[in-house]
Amino acid sequence: MDHSFLHTKKIMLVDDEPDLLKLVTNILTDDGFENIVIAASVKEGIAASRNEKPDLAILDVMLPDGDGFLLMEQMRSFTDVPIIFLTAKDEATDKLAGLGLGADDYIAKPFMPEELLLRVYAVLRRCYKEDALLLKLDSCTIDFSRAEVNRSGEVIPLTAKEHTLLEALARNEGKIVTVDALCEALWGDNPFGYENSLNAHVRRIREKIETDPSKPVALITIKGLGYKLNTRK
Amino acid sequence: MKSFGRYISKHLVSFAGFILVLLLINVITFGWTFHSVIKKDYGAISPNNMLEEVAAASTLEGLSDEARNKLESNHIWAIFLNAAGETMWSVNAPENIPAHYTVQDVSIFSRGYLEDYPVFVWNTDSGLLVLGYPKDSYTKLTSNYFSIQAIRTLPLYFSGMLAVDLLLLFFAYHLSKQKIIKSTEPIISSIETLSNGKTVSLSIRGGLSEVAESVNKASQILSRQNEARADWISGVSHDIRTPLSMIMGYAGRIADSSVADSSIKEQAEIIRNQSVKIKDLVQDLNLVSQLEYEMQPLHKEPVRVSKLLRSYVAELFNTGISDIYSIEIEITPAAETAAINCDPRLISRAVNNLVQNSMKHNLQGCHVKLSIDCSDTSLILIIADNGIGLSAEKLQELEEKPHYMKSTDERLDLRHGLGLLLVRQIVEAHEGTMQIKSVANHGFTTTLTFQK
Repeated sequence: MDHSFLHTKKIMLVDDEPDLLKLVTNILTDDGFENIVIAASVKEGIAASRNEKPDLAILDVMLPDGDGFLLMEQMRSFTDVPIIFLTAKDEATDKLAGLGLGADDYIAKPFMPEELLLRVYAVLRRCYKEDALLLKLDSCTIDFSRAEVNRSGEVIPLTAKEHTLLEALARNEGKIVTVDALCEALWGDNPFGYENSLNAHVRRIREKIETDPSKPVALITIKGLGYKLNTRK
Repeated sequence: MKSFGRYISKHLVSFAGFILVLLLINVITFGWTFHSVIKKDYGAISPNNMLEEVAAASTLEGLSDEARNKLESNHIWAIFLNAAGETMWSVNAPENIPAHYTVQDVSIFSRGYLEDYPVFVWNTDSGLLVLGYPKDSYTKLTSNYFSIQAIRTLPLYFSGMLAVDLLLLFFAYHLSKQKIIKSTEPIISSIETLSNGKTVSLSIRGGLSEVAESVNKASQILSRQNEARADWISGVSHDIRTPLSMIMGYAGRIADSSVADSSIKEQAEIIRNQSVKIKDLVQDLNLVSQLEYEMQPLHKEPVRVSKLLRSYVAELFNTGISDIYSIEIEITPAAETAAINCDPRLISRAVNNLVQNSMKHNLQGCHVKLSIDCSDTSLILIIADNGIGLSAEKLQELEEKPHYMKSTDERLDLRHGLGLLLVRQIVEAHEGTMQIKSVANHGFTTTLTFQK
């Protein structure tokens, strides 16, 4: 999926390690992000988030004048900006503390540049939907805002469930989404035993978006795991 | 604990043996000490022997010289009474000894003393021989009768008494043994726990409280050391993470750079791959030490393993794996719904370590099959590859040799990774079991079994 529309989002980095700030800034700017704000402490972080109003904050857990969790708590009093934690601490305890407080994601050091980008895009996409979200597939275009499939001039409406299902797949375009995750997206928590219904929805979607529903190229089955949505190359 | 009971029995038995030996020594010492006295007083000059000898040598008229001499040399006096109580003759008789005796006199002195001399009588055909021994040489039993009933009851009484005594002794022995075991049992078992490297807290009142205190102190020292070691490892792994992020990040940027030339990019790729290995090692090392010293809190929750496995494999595909590896997942309908109480993060980690091991050891590529099956009580997770496997010797080594993390043997091969050790620890933390099967060139299979 094209995510260049996210590149205008302002990202705030808070870390006391100048080399790491430089690395993350490089990774983000190289991938097309234009607005990066940096801060090196809780104090600077709060000032920056007030003044710059970033669209995403990436916080280190260990800061010279407190920790990232404290910073998040203080930020939450005036902003709902999505937050990703960067931490060198042990996964288990931090992940719980961070997500429990309402962080959006968490990246454990050391991380690969791709992993960082992946998470940044995932959080941004979740929080900032494209104004007119059009998904181009091999044989059609999906207009999510109108819940329609546009196939060579023909307009086919999507049901609410089909829309949700396609959206869940589109968010992870090109990646496998497990049946469990799809059922959860459609029927909420603990959706056990809905596999057959899921199959039925998938079948109907294929009739709407595939040239040959028996030989799908856009919405393909990954045996034993789930489904994957391929966009037009 | 059994060995301790035996230890106590052994000591009490040897104590009893010692008492027996002591009694024997007493008897021998007694015999040796009184040997001469007994030989003299119960030997040739004893009243019985003298009476017989002197009686044989005496008549109404007198006594043979030989017998007279013998009496004199032993300071024994003698009188010979006829049937009427008249003294027929006497040898060395003291002056205050009367010459005439009535029947009453005879019957009284024959049982005891005559003027304080212990006297002994012997009936001969012609009269009564009376021997007087020096004062204080013998004591006489003046009431010389016993009840037959009492004598008859005596053996029964003694054997009964002996039996009761033995029984009581045995009870006393048994009770004291039980008491010792009971009071030392917590101490012994805590020491056993300590020897396994686990910590204990012991509370005992009474005489052994000092021992309990020492055990607790040892346990505290042990746990402090374990904590220090785990903290140290976690500190080092923490401090490595930030610099490693930068190495990985910049190596990755150079490797993916559009301006660097291909040989530089190749070298950067090597740096990146090696730093990924350090990253895995650091993470494994930290988790292994946390689990080893029980510092890692398990966040257990009911988890559908089928879902967990699917999400793991999807993630694996999504992050991208080389085409030479194929991964298959097979879940039986019964296992589909099966949930176990576990820490999902750790179970994923265990599965990941096994899958990564399969890929790491089969650089030519392989097929990895993940399957879940379940029985009434357990859930079976199998991770199998069709790769090069292990030779029988290597497999045995892997199963039997302690890992270098757990051993002080410096000669141990340090090439084993932490991966499998971590899997074993995770499985043990979930009270599960782990089985490894492998045949050279026919793949490697790990079976993890968990209670439902």
